[in-house]
Amino acid sequence: MEIHAYEKFWLGAALLLIVGFIATVSYGAIGAGVEMIDDDGGTVDPQNLDQHPKFSDPGVYKSGPNEYDVYVIAKQFLFQPGTSEPIRVPANSTVTFHVTSADVIHGFEVVGTNANTMAIPGQISTFTVEVDGPQEYGLLCNEYCGSAHHAMEGTMKVVPEDEFNASATAGGA
Amino acid sequence: MATFVDRYAEEASVIKANLVVSFVALGIGAFFGLVQALHRTNYFRFIDSVDYYTVLTGHGVLLALVFTIFFLLGLFTWAVVQSLERPMPDIRLTWAWFGLTTTGATFVAIAILAGFMPSIDMSADVLYTFYAPLQAHPLFYVGLAMFIVGTWLAGADWFLAYRNWRGDNPDERIPLQTFMVLTTMLMWYLSTLGVAVSTVFFLIPWSFGIVETVNPLLTRTLFWFFGHPVVYFWLMPAYLMWYTVLPKLAGGRLFSDPLARVVFVLFLLLSTPVGIHHQYLDPGIAEGFKFIAMTNTMFLLLPSLLTAFTVVASVEHGARQRGGEGYLKWLGALPWRDPAFTGMALAGAMFAAGGFSGMINAGMNINYLIHNTLWVPGHFHLTVGTAVALTMMAGSYWLVPQLTGKRLYSRPIGLLQVVLWFVGMVLMSNAMHRAGLVGIPRRTAEPQYQSFDFTAVIGTVGELRAQIAIGGTLLFLSVVLFLFNILLSAFEEPIANPVDDRLPAPLSGASGSPLVLDDLRLWTGIAVVLVILAYTLPLAGIVGDAGFFGNVPGVPVWVSANAEAIVETLTEVIA
Amino acid sequence: MSLEPETENTIREDVPDRPRGYVVGSAPDSIEREIGHDDFDPVGTLVLIFGYFLILVVMWVFMYFVEFLGRGMTVIG
Ligand SMILES: [Cu+2]
Repeated sequence: MEIHAYEKFWLGAALLLIVGFIATVSYGAIGAGVEMIDDDGGTVDPQNLDQHPKFSDPGVYKSGPNEYDVYVIAKQFLFQPGTSEPIRVPANSTVTFHVTSADVIHGFEVVGTNANTMAIPGQISTFTVEVDGPQEYGLLCNEYCGSAHHAMEGTMKVVPEDEFNASATAGGA
Repeated sequence: MATFVDRYAEEASVIKANLVVSFVALGIGAFFGLVQALHRTNYFRFIDSVDYYTVLTGHGVLLALVFTIFFLLGLFTWAVVQSLERPMPDIRLTWAWFGLTTTGATFVAIAILAGFMPSIDMSADVLYTFYAPLQAHPLFYVGLAMFIVGTWLAGADWFLAYRNWRGDNPDERIPLQTFMVLTTMLMWYLSTLGVAVSTVFFLIPWSFGIVETVNPLLTRTLFWFFGHPVVYFWLMPAYLMWYTVLPKLAGGRLFSDPLARVVFVLFLLLSTPVGIHHQYLDPGIAEGFKFIAMTNTMFLLLPSLLTAFTVVASVEHGARQRGGEGYLKWLGALPWRDPAFTGMALAGAMFAAGGFSGMINAGMNINYLIHNTLWVPGHFHLTVGTAVALTMMAGSYWLVPQLTGKRLYSRPIGLLQVVLWFVGMVLMSNAMHRAGLVGIPRRTAEPQYQSFDFTAVIGTVGELRAQIAIGGTLLFLSVVLFLFNILLSAFEEPIANPVDDRLPAPLSGASGSPLVLDDLRLWTGIAVVLVILAYTLPLAGIVGDAGFFGNVPGVPVWVSANAEAIVETLTEVIA
Repeated sequence: MSLEPETENTIREDVPDRPRGYVVGSAPDSIEREIGHDDFDPVGTLVLIFGYFLILVVMWVFMYFVEFLGRGMTVIG
């Protein structure tokens, strides 16, 4: 089968492109350390979240020096916490989110950032991010979840460390 | 000289029937698209935001499944008949699958449209992806299953035609168009297994209340097992026209028949073991499986990149034969007055742009940037929404006259129509991509949220909304012009040569290519192995987590989800 | 009742009878020269596709390293 020389050249260039894309993504995973949401979060019984040690009282838990766990339940049509009260985490800390759903499939997106995951009933999405200085972020559900899907939103407040500690001792966290 | 309808009158009737269903769906779906474009940008609202999701489900299903696939059914029947140069084996079988697909599609449409009528307790506001545990009315899943079985029968019909031809022509190469149809259908059989298992074993019993719960990650994974290859099921009719019709419309010949075969074989092999790239941000699937899906996806770029070269070279051949010179000046020698040519050429150009955003979508970790944002519909309005839809509309200007024996009502309106689509899509899609990077989500009725604002880096969010609204309006106008032009063509007088339907031989023919390319059994076998490799372990893990039937009860989108009420509503609707 | 006026295409001998006006798909009528397999090098295609290649590379690098890795709160675990 004869292939025109120009097309052979393009075939080579196309393969180069493909390998280049895979190499870039591999660099992102190994060099830049970007990890995917995966099966590390484990499973949970979505009908008995109230019996789960953490999802029974979702919110922010301190897990180490400057490390925090945030348990979030997504359900029609709110994030708990996030919607009625903001998720509050201290600035310059490492935050691990554990997101699950109590009913249907939702999305969990910290607007304008790379923190973005699906929330699937029965599964826990676990991911860790580094939080910088104080800032307020929006939260939204980015997967259609029912008739009021567009109202499913919230906020996340990154507050200065001393302010966070003050509210924590006052019984917040 | 006579055209297709004069030689195969009965086949022409079935094909026309398929196109009628396709175009009716196009009209309704496009109207829904206009409603969405104006509603979610807050320019003009006459529905409730709750009903937005009924509109969105209708838009997705009617355009992505009904418009495209009925066009495919018509086009593939035409391609098989005209390339094998013989009628269908038994026209009753052909009508039978048309009847089954149409009934299925009608059921699905009824289930969706009933969502507008509060008096009927029926809804399917679950969007095109119907992720469980959101639960639609059973009629939706039943219709879907019937529709898919109908497409299987259509494939069987074409295989039967091929087998009869093979009996009479034992030593010939499979004609190129038939080769394309058969490889596409093999890919379709393999990939629709996912959605068929999902609907028949899990969703239908569950929607009737026979099974209580689902495993949402399982049904979602089975959906994407089908949901990515379906993209190629939309695209292959466009490729068939780009390879076998566009060169002729340009005044040239196909650059290489063997490479076209290689491309279709690659699609058969690689279309299915990639679906997990729609689930990069899903829990419950290990990163390694996501990486495998990405590698396969990236290699799936190869057939499209090869197509870009072969098709552009074929078009250039036309331009050169028409006197074109220079490195780029030859572009001016192309028949830009011909709406069939111009529409397909513009569709191809947009596919190049859509190819780029698809490369971003294919990248594993970069998916955090754009997942479920408006970027994604921005992308697929370039691919299925233009590369496919515009090619189908443009192709109709050339195909429909062959089926009716009547000339096209108006060439200038056709030309205006395809250019309008291009302009509208440039505006809308560009704005959607940019809005996605700002973090604006897809699939939502409201342009803004209460507790925060979106901030665009370049330009303003308001400007993006304006572009989406204007673009959407132009696209709707374009569909109106298309349907108007096709409809008025039906009132022309039949003539002997309503269109130039000759298809010249390729520059480089099939005879020089290895025979193994035509070994469909071999390629199907490899495709099955690749799917088993890509899916066995992830599926085993998902089933291991929560079993086949899971532990999540349904959340119906309609009110009374019990068997009695369902039967009552059904009898009401039928009566 | 077509809107298309008569066109003055040069009528070729080997082309079948045409109705008045423009016929969709009639580009082959205005072929000036037949170019065979061995006389055709798609150099214009090479130019176009090489341009496309460059755009892809530049856009990919921009999207990955500026838009994606340049954003906050990247998932690292
Ligand atoms: Cu939600």
